[in-house]
Amino acid sequence: MIQLIFFLFVGALLLSSLFFLARRGSRAEGNAQVLVEARQALNALQAGLLPRELVGRIFADDDREYVASAAPGPLYELFLKERKKVALSWVNQVHTQVLSLKRFHLGAARFYTRLSLRTEIEVAWHFAALLMACRALQLVVYLGGPFAAPRMVGTTAAVASRVCEISEKSLAFLNPVQFGPLADRSVGL
Amino acid sequence: MTVIALPRRMDVQQAREDLSRRTLSEIVRPLDRLIYLASMRDYNTGVYHHDGLASRFSDEVACEALADCHREVFHQLVVCPLEDLVNQLEAYRKSTHTGPREFLTAWRRLEPYRVAVPVETDPLGAEFLFSNFKIALAILEARLDSLPAGLTA
Repeated sequence: MIQLIFFLFVGALLLSSLFFLARRGSRAEGNAQVLVEARQALNALQAGLLPRELVGRIFADDDREYVASAAPGPLYELFLKERKKVALSWVNQVHTQVLSLKRFHLGAARFYTRLSLRTEIEVAWHFAALLMACRALQLVVYLGGPFAAPRMVGTTAAVASRVCEISEKSLAFLNPVQFGPLADRSVGL
Repeated sequence: MTVIALPRRMDVQQAREDLSRRTLSEIVRPLDRLIYLASMRDYNTGVYHHDGLASRFSDEVACEALADCHREVFHQLVVCPLEDLVNQLEAYRKSTHTGPREFLTAWRRLEPYRVAVPVETDPLGAEFLFSNFKIALAILEARLDSLPAGLTA
């Protein structure tokens, strides 16, 4: 009887392991979906979230000074509340897109046979630092407001840009210019 | 096999220059340009129409040129200082010959700037601009409230 229970237990364990592996397989890193997500994340970061002009404007001190002088009191409070909302949204979106790029790199590393230890360590360090910086920045903006840590914003944006540069190289094969005839602006249906 | 010829970049560039020279040069402020370009777009299809431009180039080229200009002017507004946006909004209000109170009430309630955003705009950029419009309207309202009665035209 004890043996039967033991074998049933082992069988159940094996079955659940198979189920877990099958589920992992269905979202295998390195598949087309991950590549598309990584490309989209890169575009979102480079075109939408990291341009210097936009980041500078969201955290611009001259806007704060203008509102403080032109409309103090409740309006200034409204301004701080609105900017805080946008600033937190910016950090959240950077964090989300960086996570997507990290997933891509983790997947790519599994399929790449000639890994450079130095590059991998550099990439891992950048991702870890950036994700940590995003979390810290979220906390600082949440507690101290959008103008509490301008240097931290600058550093986060700079590291995110560096991560984008590295990812750009890894995703270069997806650039349409490499497909030659497909880059032509005529679409056949 | 049907072949859809997408507009060539060079044609679009020429159409953009034409549009800038003939039409947009007459509209000085980016906010006015944004509203003008958004009004060129069919809300049901998202396609831009400009008869003059289409007759000189083609419907597709005109549409692409208008969309390009729309995106460009939207970006200009996103990165412009808040003070500048407040001034542009006030100048636009005056150009419409609408009373300040009426204008501010309508813009606060209807938020017309939300439909003036180009398609495929970065969501954060749009969120930021909407937020700035909200603050700009509040500043103009506060300014209006501080004026003595009878000086609100």
